[in-house]
Amino acid sequence: MNDLGTYAENTWCPGCGNFGILNAFKKAIIELEKKGYNKETLVMTSGIGCHAKIFDYLNINSVYALHGRDMATAQGIKIGNPELKVIDFAGDGDAMGEGLAHVIFAAKRNSDITIIMHNNGVYALTTGQYTPLSRKGWKGPSTPSGSIEEPFNALALLLEAGASFIARGYTARISHLVDLIVQAVEHKGFSFIEVLQPCVSWNNTYDLYNEVVAELDYEPKTYDDAMAVLKKRDKLPIGIIYRTQKSIFHRELLGDHHPLYNKMPREKRLEKIKNILEFK
Amino acid sequence: MSLDVFTFLVGGRAGEGVKKAGSVAAQLFITKGRYVFQMDDYMSLIRGGHNFSVVSTSTRWISSQYLKADLVVCFDQRSYDKHKTHLSKAGFLIYNADKVEGDTGIGIPLSKEAKSYPRPDLMLGVGAVAILAALIDYSKDMLEMLITEEYPFGIENNISYANKIYNLVYPEIGGLIKINDGDKRRTHIYGNYAIALGAIAGGLDVYYAYPMTPASSILHYLAALAEDYGLAIIHPENEIAVINMAVGSAFTGAKTIVGTSGGGFALMTEGLSFAGMVEAPVLCILSQRPGPATGVPTYTAQGDLNFALSAGHGEFLRIIASPGTIEEAFYLTAKMLDLVWKYQTPGILLIEKHLSESAMTVDIDVSKAAWAEPELAMEGSYKRYIDTYTGISPMLFPPSKEVIKWNSHEHDEFGITTEESKIVSQMHEKRMRKIESLKSYLKGFKTINIYGERGAIILTYGSTTMSVLEAIKFGNLEAMVIQIIYLNPLPIWELKKYSSKEIIVVEQSIGCQFSNLIREKAGLSVKNVINAYDGRPFDPIDLANKLREVI
Repeated sequence: MNDLGTYAENTWCPGCGNFGILNAFKKAIIELEKKGYNKETLVMTSGIGCHAKIFDYLNINSVYALHGRDMATAQGIKIGNPELKVIDFAGDGDAMGEGLAHVIFAAKRNSDITIIMHNNGVYALTTGQYTPLSRKGWKGPSTPSGSIEEPFNALALLLEAGASFIARGYTARISHLVDLIVQAVEHKGFSFIEVLQPCVSWNNTYDLYNEVVAELDYEPKTYDDAMAVLKKRDKLPIGIIYRTQKSIFHRELLGDHHPLYNKMPREKRLEKIKNILEFK
Repeated sequence: MSLDVFTFLVGGRAGEGVKKAGSVAAQLFITKGRYVFQMDDYMSLIRGGHNFSVVSTSTRWISSQYLKADLVVCFDQRSYDKHKTHLSKAGFLIYNADKVEGDTGIGIPLSKEAKSYPRPDLMLGVGAVAILAALIDYSKDMLEMLITEEYPFGIENNISYANKIYNLVYPEIGGLIKINDGDKRRTHIYGNYAIALGAIAGGLDVYYAYPMTPASSILHYLAALAEDYGLAIIHPENEIAVINMAVGSAFTGAKTIVGTSGGGFALMTEGLSFAGMVEAPVLCILSQRPGPATGVPTYTAQGDLNFALSAGHGEFLRIIASPGTIEEAFYLTAKMLDLVWKYQTPGILLIEKHLSESAMTVDIDVSKAAWAEPELAMEGSYKRYIDTYTGISPMLFPPSKEVIKWNSHEHDEFGITTEESKIVSQMHEKRMRKIESLKSYLKGFKTINIYGERGAIILTYGSTTMSVLEAIKFGNLEAMVIQIIYLNPLPIWELKKYSSKEIIVVEQSIGCQFSNLIREKAGLSVKNVINAYDGRPFDPIDLANKLREVI
């Protein structure tokens, strides 16, 4: 597993939920390799924030993108080379705030990428402001009297937008999370995992999650079943919440054509253009 | 009589085939081996309003429309009121007698004659072409062939209507103007199409754009050609997605271009800076229209030069070039794609509505188009941002044994985030070194165009070049026109020889952005600036008069 790490100094707080995601992802890569995936075809992208430091700690092909734009960059990678498996790591600020439109559209077009959203419910690296997923009343430096907005229900939003795979995991249930990541990456089409991630410095939710998180003992089969699971208030179900097959963006756009491997050579292009430019 | 330049102007409401009539007229002149320049003026609406198309033609190279036409055809009152003064001294004014109360000119019942056909409004354009054919004694057989070729839907009806109109006007104006044949039949092409073809010739794989006038027709044309050439052409949710997807595609080695106008470009600037930091080769086509904000969407301007020069936060190399003609737009698009890949930095092809959406005859030698290829890494251990004397770090694309890391944070040579002062400085220097490398490289290429050998020195850039060249010809002025192709890096090495001269600048910016650029960066002394900012391209007659005053 050592060859997946880098020489970068890890600067997450001791006890940070991000360690759970990093470890789960490393294990997932090993699982994927066992299933025949080549690590060299994996590309990860990340947004900006504490979560995104995962870029520095993983020795795989990667793009450290802009805040909230990571999922656009991830889709661009998939279009450029559909052979690649693209996994985007996003904070809840990236995916549900700055980059909400990109996530919704990635789900809408069923882009064949995986998004792993680290949901710590706080802007941690910028010192504790509320996020689109923070509970109403969150007191942070930008909302000293408590936030006055209701949070999004992230997975319900994505289900409505057309996501073909949605799941929820928890950083303290590593092997469960490993399995979710493997299945999400294997899914053909858009997959999204919300990972409940306690932030020890600003939003320590370990006790809360240990109490309310419950593993689903079944996989909802219909949109309505899935929505009902997502609307549950007393428990936070983890597991695969919805999975379906539908046409994939790059396949619809390109068919079997690979824009790089089947690129039309220069001479042929010039011949065709010359033909267009000749007076007929 | 025979003229150096003959101009045909047709005006009407949107949806009456005005632009198409302009294109068919251009095609008619082309069958006579002549050069043409076509300018379409249209409003930001789909039906109604007022549109007009001007086609000027000559047996010599012509680079502008003229607003004094030898034949004006008006479909409605608004066109008539607006264009009856746009007539040359011996010009002919023909109007649709069913829709226009005219005090001068010749009324023809264009609408009434069209009534018996299925879609009478769409016939008016055919009528205008028939009037033109009659005036210059273009044979009916040729006209029939032209209509068959150009109006493939309802050919018989179109020919029948054209014949009716031809016969109707012939007794009054038939053969009154003689048009000489030129040397060779050339194709005529819109600027945006030339750019799209230049992009494909240069190696384009993926194009992203959100629709925005006047850049949209690049997207439309490429989308139509996508399957044939094996390209991925994508219209995502907004321009922010456009540029960030483009960086992602560039990461895989795909030659990627994006296109927009000022407002969309404003949204792209964050991603442009991203491209600067991760050293992503991305070419942006920026077609200017008058701003600020929504501005005047379907008209022309050169007001975004300063914006382009400094677009994106932070310090990095933005390669910026602007073609002076539609022909040059073809080559320069391919060249810019090559340059952004050679130097691994964003580039901007700066154009205007006047270049994007005007059409002219071209002689393009496709074999002269550049082909984008980056410098690739040798086998062995790989560092994405290895420091080199040129500032260029060789590229590698996934899947790969060696790990490739592109990082929007400041980073070390491998790509890991850093805040170390020494590395922060080193990486800034590495990236900025590309400017000097690029300058040395560009010294081996044409970075300015010079037209004429002596006389007053006129500096300009972009599509304004075409207006200036036509004005010089029309006014028979003695001048040397210098068009700057590369706006960043500015070719000071070429310009410094003019530092002791007094210079006239022609541009389309109220703030005289281009004049200020060459004053400040090249130390040139600008004596006079002729600038316009009404959204309209210069008229060569007006411009010649203005130039004469200052030469």
